[in-house]
Amino acid sequence: MPVAVIFLAWRNLWRQRRRSLTSLGAVAFVVCLSLLYYSIGGAAVNSMYRNLTEGAGQIQLHVADYREVRDVSAGLLRNAAAITEEVRAQAAGASVVGVLDVPGLLIHGERSRAVAVSGRDWPAPLSAAYLRTNPIEGSFVRAGDPTGIVLGRGLARALGAGIGDEVVLYAPGSEGFGAGSFTVIGLVDVLDPVAAARTALLSLAAAQAVAADDAVSRIEVHYPEIRRMQDDVASTETATRLRAALPALSVETWRELSPTLVRILDSLRPVMAIVSVIFFVLAGLLVVNSIYLGMVERIHEFGVLMSLGASGRRVMGLITLESVLLCGAGAALGLAIGLPLVGLMGRGFTIPGLEQYYASFNMDPVFYASIHPSEVLFAVLFALGTGVLAALWPASIASRLEPVEAMRFTA
Amino acid sequence: MSLYRIENLAKRYRSGEVETLALRGVDLTIEEGEFTAVAGPSGSGKSTLLHLMGALDAPSAGEVYLNGTRIDKLGKRAAARMRLENLGFVFQAYNLIPVLTALENAAFVLELRGVGRREREARARQALDDLDMAGYADRRPNQLSGGQQQRVAVARALAAEPKIILADEPTANLDSETGHALIELMRHLNREHGVTFVFSTHDPRLLDSVDRIVRLEDGRVAGEETRVSA
Repeated sequence: MPVAVIFLAWRNLWRQRRRSLTSLGAVAFVVCLSLLYYSIGGAAVNSMYRNLTEGAGQIQLHVADYREVRDVSAGLLRNAAAITEEVRAQAAGASVVGVLDVPGLLIHGERSRAVAVSGRDWPAPLSAAYLRTNPIEGSFVRAGDPTGIVLGRGLARALGAGIGDEVVLYAPGSEGFGAGSFTVIGLVDVLDPVAAARTALLSLAAAQAVAADDAVSRIEVHYPEIRRMQDDVASTETATRLRAALPALSVETWRELSPTLVRILDSLRPVMAIVSVIFFVLAGLLVVNSIYLGMVERIHEFGVLMSLGASGRRVMGLITLESVLLCGAGAALGLAIGLPLVGLMGRGFTIPGLEQYYASFNMDPVFYASIHPSEVLFAVLFALGTGVLAALWPASIASRLEPVEAMRFTA
Repeated sequence: MSLYRIENLAKRYRSGEVETLALRGVDLTIEEGEFTAVAGPSGSGKSTLLHLMGALDAPSAGEVYLNGTRIDKLGKRAAARMRLENLGFVFQAYNLIPVLTALENAAFVLELRGVGRREREARARQALDDLDMAGYADRRPNQLSGGQQQRVAVARALAAEPKIILADEPTANLDSETGHALIELMRHLNREHGVTFVFSTHDPRLLDSVDRIVRLEDGRVAGEETRVSA
């Protein structure tokens, strides 16, 4: 495309400055809106991703076919310390956490309740994330603590236990001591009342002493610094390495662990793209109006161009170029405004009114906007595509003008 | 071989029930290097004849040959190509592109032909210089007088070095002095560069310097007059 033709098209746009600026503004608005829309959609996706992976990790290792195992013992990973070391070696930079889940009976005085004991150690980022959504009274589980126990507030209420009280845990059918005495060191608020009435947290060492020495139910691999789903390339790579290193175990990424949620997350982008197309169609109508009126006003001029030797195709190309330039400039303006806004929102933002709602579900109310480069590219391509489509009708009319008739035309 | 050969050319316009015969069987030849005026009153068919010679419109009957090639039956794209490669046009209303400078207007046909920027500008500058418009190269049409705009229009036609320049009433919007000067300039270009000109006019005062006058009346050639160049 000769530069002179681009200049001509650009100058033609500025002949009707107000009209062109209105259309350009509409395209810029839609591009900016699309970026914000994509990034807020991305924020929602990231929020779901974070809430999922903060609790369960990006990767989990179990015994093979663990979903089919009904016996607790058969579902345990033996030689947990050695396996954990191997996982740490394969997952550099990750927080690797062994978890031992044991059903048991917790007794305080005359009262007892069935509980789901979870024995694990909590690296700092994971405990911070847990306590952000599950506020605690007292202190939290410390790694290696042989006697401290943290109870769900509902469970403590049912047992009539408070901080500092002694409780006895009985784990029938276990391979460890089968029972132990613990001191309540903290009470956590767990939203789900059923979970709140069953939550009992121990250190991994304490749980292993009671239930199964050097065994875990699963090993979780956490990348707590990954906040955005699109940044999570480590899961797949690490899982591949772990499968090679530990072929006898089941290694699953969060995608394989939560296929329904993944389907929901994956379906969001096409839905957002469709809504975005609707935005562009609306902006495109303004562009069509602008380009069509510009074409009608210049019918005489097109007649002159054709009489000088310009073909219909050339005229069509000129009008299309004007439309694409208009939309391209609008896209550039939209990017110039939208991308810094997305960057700002990427540092974290809350939605007034939703904070309490999210907090009531023990979910992080802070959203982190994110946009994938492909979405920026989509927005630009949509804008340029709008330019091409908007020009089709007026350009087609202009290309079929008869030179003599056109030169007689007065707008 | 004549540059142009026109045989029994007719053009009929229909508007509802009313039919108008703009040309009624015109026969004409134009030789290379001629400076020809098509003269006649308004409505005599001058513009129609020039439009048909430029393949801007299709005749109702008759044939038009340019360099022996029939051009009245060309399709739209082929006609556009033929005009681009062979013809230059000058219009009554100047018809410069308002967003382009004089230089860019003069270079526009070369741009359509795909001539490179450097050569295009050099030829357009030369054409403007030939028309004493070199000092106005950077001005837009709305910064030029009518006479200056028409000179730029001639420069646009000239820069592409066409076989023939067809000028439809090029002086109609100019005062007589400016119009006369423009015709003299065109005559000079005809003599100096050998460019063939055919222009239409209804002003008899502009006919002094032409080689040949074709008089049209009611769509017919009412007479021809050939003059010996001074």
